Amino acid sequence: MSAWFERFKFDGRRLILRNFSFQFFSLVMPAGFYLLFTKVMVTGNVPASFNVTYMGSMIVYSGTINALFGIAAFLQRDREAGVLQWCWLSPTGIRPYYLSIGCWSLLMNTSSVVVLGGIAMGVNHVSLSVAQWGAIAGIAILGQLSTMLLGVLISFVERAETLSVLSNLITFPMAIISGLWWPLGLLPNWLQPIGKLMPTYLINDWLGRVATHGTLLTSDILGTGAWMIGLLVVVIVSVRLLLKRSDGVVRA
Amino acid sequence: MKPIIQATQLQFSYGAHAVLKDVTLSIDPGEIIGLIGENGAGKTTLLNLMLGLFSAHRGQLHLFGQQPGAPIAKQRIGTMRQKDLVIRGVTVQEVLRLAAAQYPEALNVTTLLKNLDLTAIAKQRLTALSGGQLRRVTFALALVGNPDLLFLDEPTVGMDTNAQQAFWRRIQQLKAAGKTIVITSHYLPEIQAVADRICLLRNGEIAFQGTFQALQEQYQQVEITCQTALPVAAFENLPGVTAVTKTGPRLNISSEAGDTTLQALVPVLADLRQVTIKRESLTDIFVHLTKGVIA
Repeated sequence: MSAWFERFKFDGRRLILRNFSFQFFSLVMPAGFYLLFTKVMVTGNVPASFNVTYMGSMIVYSGTINALFGIAAFLQRDREAGVLQWCWLSPTGIRPYYLSIGCWSLLMNTSSVVVLGGIAMGVNHVSLSVAQWGAIAGIAILGQLSTMLLGVLISFVERAETLSVLSNLITFPMAIISGLWWPLGLLPNWLQPIGKLMPTYLINDWLGRVATHGTLLTSDILGTGAWMIGLLVVVIVSVRLLLKRSDGVVRA
Repeated sequence: MKPIIQATQLQFSYGAHAVLKDVTLSIDPGEIIGLIGENGAGKTTLLNLMLGLFSAHRGQLHLFGQQPGAPIAKQRIGTMRQKDLVIRGVTVQEVLRLAAAQYPEALNVTTLLKNLDLTAIAKQRLTALSGGQLRRVTFALALVGNPDLLFLDEPTVGMDTNAQQAFWRRIQQLKAAGKTIVITSHYLPEIQAVADRICLLRNGEIAFQGTFQALQEQYQQVEITCQTALPVAAFENLPGVTAVTKTGPRLNISSEAGDTTLQALVPVLADLRQVTIKRESLTDIFVHLTKGVIA
């Protein structure tokens, strides 16, 4: 237990407290976008529902940036620096490492709910029931496991430069076509069905429905679940393949 | 005494390239083994096999009677790799505390920092340390679990002279405490000074395994220097002599069969003054061995 607690404290320091990149890109930037598009760059009255749905979009965007840039780069850097090998050589192995990073990732998503929810309530006077806030937090934490798994998957690439390209190529097109930056209806007709298959769209839609009407759409839940299970299988297979190589432990 | 490491006919290859060929090695508790060899001789691969990072393609390897990488074996092993651990956003003290928490009989971190003269940098971030300081932290990480077996891969690279001396003093203390240590280093005088046994790898095979004295006995190259009035011709035909040079009264004799040449010099000893006999250092022998001068 003490080993796990020490590991958790250690990773918390480097993932959140002393990680300017996370604080800026996953918290400050989405919060800035939220204020910009709900308060500053608006004319006339903004529908109350937009304040809520755009909060949901920015929560999902924050989680996506965190997963595909923050966590992916973090894991890749750790592997390159020999942290993973060091953990493997210790008696507790690499499982506590992944567990700790996983827990912190979920807490990082929670912090974006707290920051964006706080701004939505304090600045835009968004009023939701405790149950809705709870559901939003739950969806933000668990629903985004699929993007987190995508982050883990791309972290297996060999070079930091390749990872950076991959993160950019996945995050921004996915954010745009899934309607995180502007409504999906503004996209070409042929692109909209593709956008609706993206995990970020499914989570955003799920969050928006819970926040605005308190309703759920089965396809959002099933789609998110399918992405999650699919990516989990791919991640497990990838890790096993890496471990199977004679020098796999060093690399994995 | 049951060996701590027992390797039998280990084989490992990268594709078609055989890196280790039938390596058999046994290391007893309390021994310091110097693992030497040229770059690419297979030292790091052998180390990686012992740590369980690689799996041998053939042969058997046991550490503490366990398979390499077994949790029980890991609890008793400390490792200092060539590459230092540079983790962003954490201090020396924090990384040591994390490491200590993983081992059942870990050392007290504050005491360890003090003993290794690291207290002054305990609260510094790893990313802010110099190469030599990082090396010392890596050594502390290897020791914090209070291991019975230490693997030190090029331990003193980047350390300044004072740090190197302190490091070797610490190794002597660890030896006195009964720890088993496997060291690889390109600084052969360090290995010569500290190792009980030397294991020389050449092209994936063990070219020599034994004490430095045994190696010297096997390799009889000596340099004899003296002052004498006798002519060069008096020494040229002595058994084992390969070269004789004279500068003024100073005479240099090179021999490839030290003991035989020295015996042949006994009759003329009265004519020799200020005699010095220099046997080959480990570095000299290493150069000859890796060039295949003797098998």
